[in-house]
Amino acid sequence: MSGGDESAWPVSATVVRAIGFLVFWLMLAGVNPADLPAAALAVAAATWTSLHLLPPGTWRLSPVGLARLVLRFPLQSVVAGVDVARRALDPRLPLRPGFVACPARLPPGTARDAFCTLTSLLPGTLPAGTGQDGTLLIHCLDVGLPVAAQLAREEALFADALCGGVLEERGGDG
Amino acid sequence: MRQVLDIFTVAAVSAGALFFLVGTVGLLRFPDPLTRLHALTKADNLGLGLVVLGLLPQAEGFLAGVKLVAVWLLAQLAGATVTQLVARAVRRGGPPA
Repeated sequence: MSGGDESAWPVSATVVRAIGFLVFWLMLAGVNPADLPAAALAVAAATWTSLHLLPPGTWRLSPVGLARLVLRFPLQSVVAGVDVARRALDPRLPLRPGFVACPARLPPGTARDAFCTLTSLLPGTLPAGTGQDGTLLIHCLDVGLPVAAQLAREEALFADALCGGVLEERGGDG
Repeated sequence: MRQVLDIFTVAAVSAGALFFLVGTVGLLRFPDPLTRLHALTKADNLGLGLVVLGLLPQAEGFLAGVKLVAVWLLAQLAGATVTQLVARAVRRGGPPA
């Protein structure tokens, strides 16, 4: 991963991330003055790593979109878990596994990777890399379900929340 | 009130354990590595979520509760990331027996 132009990191982004990591440390380790050196070291390392891997400006966050994404997540976890449970416990083992190729409209890189990570927690879908024509290969437990349509919807919500709603148009001039 | 919370804890943690069990059943019954990955990630993440939800009322203070949720989130993140990598590797290597 690049992003190594350290002089280009805005001070504000650095400070905000450092504070975030410090809060996370305090949350996990508790407030203890003796821990301070270790905490400082960990926060510095985490901030540096995060700025390298996810340079400021990668995301354009929308609070409303994020809230929508976060609120949908528990319900989807339940649907996904119950779906697997139903199939695993059914004596007939109702599976129609296979790959579905979904056109990826998020730009390649961090945004698409993050979306794939989310997708692997959604009901019935498991991203298994990219096809030769740039489509996402999604492994499904039931290829009869409208997976591509479901994923396109999720992708739009994801783009609203994290990328300012920007999706690449495909297969046309619109 | 205490009793209600305790009952909630027992119910949620039991449900969580049930999903872990079901995930394992899926792991044993599903036919190939990719479908088994579905079983593991989906069922176990919900199982862990329910266990965490059930333990929240028993947490000693706000910080302990937040820590529990952080554990769940980190496990989700790790699981979701590694699952994709395994799936990618399986697809590239062809379907093993």
